[in-house]
Amino acid sequence: MRKPVVAVLTAAGTLATVLAAAGCTDSSSADGGVFTTIDGNHPINVNAPINPYNQASNTFVGYNTMQLGWAKNSKTDPNAFYPGLAKSWTETPDHLKLTVKLQPKAKWSDGKDVTAEDVKTSAAMSFTQGGGAFAVSPGAAGGLGDIKVVDSKTIEFDQAAGSANNSFLRNILSMNVIPKSVYGPQMPADIWDTIKTATDPKAAKADQTKAQNTITSLGKKLVDFGPKKDVSAGPFVLQRVNPGEAVLKKNTYFFDADKIGPKQVVLKNYSGNEQIWNYLIAGQLDAAPYTSTPTNVVKKIVGHKGNGTVKGFSPVAASLAFNQSYKPLDNVHVRRALAYLIDRKLTTKIGEAESGTASQTTTGLVGDAANAWLGADGVNKLNPYAHDTAKAEKELKTAGLTKSGKTWMYKGKPFTLNIQAPTGFSDWIAGSKSISSQLTDFGIASSVKTSADYATYLSEIAEGKYQVGFWLTALGPSTYNAYARLYGPSNGWTQFGAQVKHSAAGKDGNWMGGTETANVPGLGTVNPGDLTNQLSQADEAKQKELVGKLARYSNDQLPAIQIWDYVNVQFTNTTRFTNFPKDDSDVLRLSPGVWMQLGYIKKK
Amino acid sequence: MSTTVEVPVANPVVPARRTRFLANLWKVLRRKPSRMVGAFIVALFVALGIIGPWLYPENLPKSADLLAGPSLSHLLGTDFEGADVLAELIVGSRYVLTAAAVAALVTVVVGVAVGLYAGYRRGRPDSALMRITDFVLTIPGFPLLLVLTTVWKFESALQMGLVLGLTGWGGLARSVRSQTLSLRERGFVEAARGLGLSTPHVVTRELLPNIAPYVAMNLLIGVTTFIYSQVGLFYLGVLPYNSTNWGVMIQLAVNNGVTQTGAGLSYLMAPLIAILLLTLGVVLLVDAMDEVFNPRLRED
Repeated sequence: MRKPVVAVLTAAGTLATVLAAAGCTDSSSADGGVFTTIDGNHPINVNAPINPYNQASNTFVGYNTMQLGWAKNSKTDPNAFYPGLAKSWTETPDHLKLTVKLQPKAKWSDGKDVTAEDVKTSAAMSFTQGGGAFAVSPGAAGGLGDIKVVDSKTIEFDQAAGSANNSFLRNILSMNVIPKSVYGPQMPADIWDTIKTATDPKAAKADQTKAQNTITSLGKKLVDFGPKKDVSAGPFVLQRVNPGEAVLKKNTYFFDADKIGPKQVVLKNYSGNEQIWNYLIAGQLDAAPYTSTPTNVVKKIVGHKGNGTVKGFSPVAASLAFNQSYKPLDNVHVRRALAYLIDRKLTTKIGEAESGTASQTTTGLVGDAANAWLGADGVNKLNPYAHDTAKAEKELKTAGLTKSGKTWMYKGKPFTLNIQAPTGFSDWIAGSKSISSQLTDFGIASSVKTSADYATYLSEIAEGKYQVGFWLTALGPSTYNAYARLYGPSNGWTQFGAQVKHSAAGKDGNWMGGTETANVPGLGTVNPGDLTNQLSQADEAKQKELVGKLARYSNDQLPAIQIWDYVNVQFTNTTRFTNFPKDDSDVLRLSPGVWMQLGYIKKK
Repeated sequence: MSTTVEVPVANPVVPARRTRFLANLWKVLRRKPSRMVGAFIVALFVALGIIGPWLYPENLPKSADLLAGPSLSHLLGTDFEGADVLAELIVGSRYVLTAAAVAALVTVVVGVAVGLYAGYRRGRPDSALMRITDFVLTIPGFPLLLVLTTVWKFESALQMGLVLGLTGWGGLARSVRSQTLSLRERGFVEAARGLGLSTPHVVTRELLPNIAPYVAMNLLIGVTTFIYSQVGLFYLGVLPYNSTNWGVMIQLAVNNGVTQTGAGLSYLMAPLIAILLLTLGVVLLVDAMDEVFNPRLRED
């Protein structure tokens, strides 16, 4: 699975800025063909280290960076994986123990075997960077409690006591594996003792803090470290990097080298979406990952010989999220009025015509996932919030708003709404503009404001500076992850082991400021954060029940209004290579490097 | 016997001067058609800047056709949302012109004051002011503005104009100082000083009128530079979104693939041509202003 920040960026179609320049490729590689594409996770940075844990990094997932497994693009199962460096794995039904068997023939590009010790070193590295199963805080939900090398090709992971998180497997299998021969010498010999002290709830507070600080500072050092030469366990190894492209050659030591068609991969640099469009229009790319592209440009791209699109499911939705500390947004009738007012089809047509479909309604899940969990009947029972100004008017009046001429007033002043979006997210900005126009036409003075960049946007939205902002929701396939976007830390709920704690609005990152509980017809009083937390521990049947409640709660209370569900639209060119994945393939969210490992992409 | 007391009338000098200036301006403008064209363009944009936002107080006219080309109902086509491009251009002209005018005013006031004072007084004040001027000149204007956008969002055109002006007066101050150093040695200035006239009198009545043509030209040329700067900042996307801002219009046209496909070309071209026209108007007007302020250039 992509790192969250990358997934977020990719989903929103925004790409970081680096100069692009033309580069040359090795013509001697014409044998198996040169596969040209871009890396959807990040552009090329000549100065970045060859270290997959560095954000810029000259490593590319699926090409010269391997994970234990490759997540399938499932609508409902977060633990569906293709084998990567792991040949197989078994997990106990309670998710507490995971045993992984490595590919017996897996080798690094320097000829050494990939062993369980390499995986253990990777886990230590992951702890220094934190997050997911590797959070360096005692009692973190779904954390890695113990790791045991059974033999050179078998390794065992135990979930930390206190919770039985059902995302444990996903978090472990998605770990980037690095060679111990390269990274081991950079780590202190007692690193596992330090990790144990830092994550042990029974350790003395002072020792715990000291250990956490040690790991944090070690993490900063390790993330900047990079070997002079790439040591890859993937199908390719980095040959050279220049400002225009990264060139990778086939790794002859790769355990499944026979499956790999191209002899060389060229990853072009880019400064933004426009650059990727230009590559595609010129027919230079054999494949391109999801890139937000307007309709006129898509037409131009597919007009080039050999170019085509492959479309698939995307477990991401773009929503308009409310900061309920700004009155009258704390009034559910006002939020419902806005849901009736926003014409989602029109907004999607303007904001995300090619890579989005107007959300069916607000459930907290994308339409396909909602249908899979709730059934079509379950979804149809929810309020669709079809565009209806009369109902909007009624809701606003119920909320106590009045009309003065054409303008809606709240407590004697015009009700105004500023919609925030980050600069560079052209789809969000266009969508915001459309919504703003619709609201202004109705008598709610609305404007669009932009933030300098996505990082600023995230930090300012967390500080509670925005009334309303675009917010990615429904991040599946994990139902917990999807609902944590609405009922997680940004709305006051934080997990501690199997428990959850609620913080007041404005505290501990709670910028949404929703109420802790609400009364929903037919459900009674519901604490959505508690239900969301239960999702992380629940089996499939229990999840179904919980999703049913949370979907109804989200539909009734509207902490955010789902505007569009993303569609994963990718581009391929069949002039030089064939056998690309088809529409709706479950590999579509993986890189072409992984496609090659799975037997796709052959020279024409 | 009755005594007639004459009631003193207001000093007629100022209105007379104003009338004379306007008469001269009109005469100079009429002399060349290009000057009339320049004056017309500038006047048109100024008029649009004044009345534009009143013409469209709420939402702009819209069409269901996104990025449509020019038509009778939308003379300059529509944008990504189907909004009328001409209306956006008109509404957006106020910010662009106000910011440019304020910036030019600040440049002229600060630049002329510093240059005149430094050149006339010489000595330590001159050295001190010129070091400050050199410092301002060494600041790379556009990169500085980029940095400033991280803390200042320039939502008001006055803010934008003020910052552009405060970072852009150095060149004018240097030039005015050079002119002043030359003028202060001329006979008429020495005569004025010999007559015991005060420094303010010498500076404002003797020196200032003689550097006025130069200042007027700088004012107008400065306007075009400031337009480029502010539009550039908005185009780069470092300032808050405003759909009617000319820089934002160019940025959004590019983001919507206009440069790749040509669809909606008028959305991209409209602000670019507006900037070009405005610059042309200003340049043509500079020619006229030069003659108005410099009697030696007059042809009659």
